[in-house]
Amino acid sequence: MTEEQPVVPRRVRVTAPRTAARATGASFPVAREMAEQSEVGQLFVASLIRSQLRLALVVAAGFLVILIGIPVLLALFPAIDGVTVLTVPVPWLLLGLGIYPLVIGCAVLYVRSATRNERRFQDLVDDD
Amino acid sequence: MTDLMTGPGAVLDDDLLRLSPAIGYTALVLVALSTVLIGIYGLRISRTTGDFYVASRTVRPWWNASAIGGEYLSAASFLGVAGLILISGVDALWFPIGYTAGYLMLLLFVAAPLRRSGAYTIPDFAQARLDSLLVRRVTSLLVILIGWLYIVPQLHGAALTVRVTTGLPPWAGPLAVVVVVCLSVVTGGMRSITFVQAFQYWLKLTALAVPVAFMLFRLGDAGLPVTAGGSAFTADLDTTADASLYGTISLVIALLFGTLGLPHVLVRFYTNPDGASARRTTLIVLGLLSVFYLFPTVYGILGRIHTPELAAAGAADATVLLLPGRILGGVTGDLLSALVTAGAFAAFLSTTSGLVVSLAGVVSQEFFQGSVRGFRTAALLSAAVPLGIALLTDSLALAGSVGSVFAFTASTICPLLLLGIWWRGLTDAGAIAGMLTGAVSCGGAIAATAVVGAGDRWVLLSQPALWTVPTAFLTMVLVSRATAGRRPASTSRVLARLHTPEPR
Repeated sequence: MTEEQPVVPRRVRVTAPRTAARATGASFPVAREMAEQSEVGQLFVASLIRSQLRLALVVAAGFLVILIGIPVLLALFPAIDGVTVLTVPVPWLLLGLGIYPLVIGCAVLYVRSATRNERRFQDLVDDD
Repeated sequence: MTDLMTGPGAVLDDDLLRLSPAIGYTALVLVALSTVLIGIYGLRISRTTGDFYVASRTVRPWWNASAIGGEYLSAASFLGVAGLILISGVDALWFPIGYTAGYLMLLLFVAAPLRRSGAYTIPDFAQARLDSLLVRRVTSLLVILIGWLYIVPQLHGAALTVRVTTGLPPWAGPLAVVVVVCLSVVTGGMRSITFVQAFQYWLKLTALAVPVAFMLFRLGDAGLPVTAGGSAFTADLDTTADASLYGTISLVIALLFGTLGLPHVLVRFYTNPDGASARRTTLIVLGLLSVFYLFPTVYGILGRIHTPELAAAGAADATVLLLPGRILGGVTGDLLSALVTAGAFAAFLSTTSGLVVSLAGVVSQEFFQGSVRGFRTAALLSAAVPLGIALLTDSLALAGSVGSVFAFTASTICPLLLLGIWWRGLTDAGAIAGMLTGAVSCGGAIAATAVVGAGDRWVLLSQPALWTVPTAFLTMVLVSRATAGRRPASTSRVLARLHTPEPR
């Protein structure tokens, strides 16, 4: 990329990299590498991983409880089947429409919090 | 019932399943032509090595997300969901939910770390994380198997569509799809595929949405029934028993955790510039899928009123194709049928080519030293084997057969990814033991179902995910614990790379 380029870029034969190691390249800055290897840096990384995992588990668990809760409720209270809104039974509304905003809501919540966790980590490393 | 639907020499009621052949051919040519044109456009703007590998880094998340959606929405989504709703009603709604929420799990556990790993395929990731060639081999074999199993239902869908729309024999559809895919993969490689796939998402959405608008307008205008006072929802067209609670939960688990191991899904995540944008892309994908799945649902509901006889004929998967012609008729009906057919072709083509490309990458690296020639041979191989299987087997309900592939993925690749990304303790021995346990138990259950049939008594076998996924996880954890000495020295470094954000 940094080489001088002809006006019309020439076609280049492309082969797949043999290993992931080559594919990843060494684009990590030295400061960060040190932060990861130093004891404090490792502590930061470990705490970042923990907080990201906790966040992911909490969101997933909340979503699964609601999701699995629906068939359980329907099995426990079959009378729900009879309730209709504009001739559409409630189970159809829940499963055909209601779930999707829930999925997106969970996703937005997660992306925000995960980004915040990462920003906090970056601030810590940069301060160091 | 299903014998009626396919299989060489199947007897089909011609009046029931017939569209004018001109519609089918027009649609085929349109899709092929637009795909080629966009491919050429994409080819023009990507010439260098950098373009080839990181073309998508210059592509905005919206394009990227559209491409993911285009590749993901397969025959099972386009035809199968509506067909299943026609047959089994509300229980079928779990399929689109699972297909969509699978991306939520992907977002929570996999998207950003996998992008940061820099791995291009799942075997690459396994090798980098566990520092073991054997793990790489086992993972490769599983990925190839999953890819093949996933292509087969696509080809079954193609067989159905081509037969319904052109009247050609059942082998014509799969063959056409495989030939088109092989040609594009062998000659063009993956260079322009992002644009093609992105286009195909919007094609699929349009192909479903526009006829829905026309149909609802016509029904309202003519005072014809839309839900028939609610009987669309209660009509019992099911030829099998209702889904049990166990079956439903097991299916949901399979779909949720199967998505994040699908080979063609993961390749796409590498095309994001960084971890944060991988998350943004996934968020958009969730929106795109949520919107998309509203439409197959509407087709299924309308089909329960207007084409209920398809359920008994064992051709429920043709609902989407036949409904516009049935409700609208005339020139409008013909045009909209052509549009829907085009969307269906787009579904087979995009999913199959995505799978073939990602499989060819794995096969060629594993067995042909990653050369270009090897890539081409591998692509042919990746497409030919499922073609053979598809021609030899009869199709079951599309959504259902895709469901068992998800169960298999959830029992094998999913534990490897989740534990590999989040748990320091994973070892190569543990990973192999877990994947093999999952593969044998889930694969065995699926094979047994094929033998004994999917009756109520065999739901443990026909929906195995609820017990095979935990078994695979548990095996992986226990064996890793027992072989703790084999933890790779690089674990800390790799995990740090997976989880630390890219420098600002």
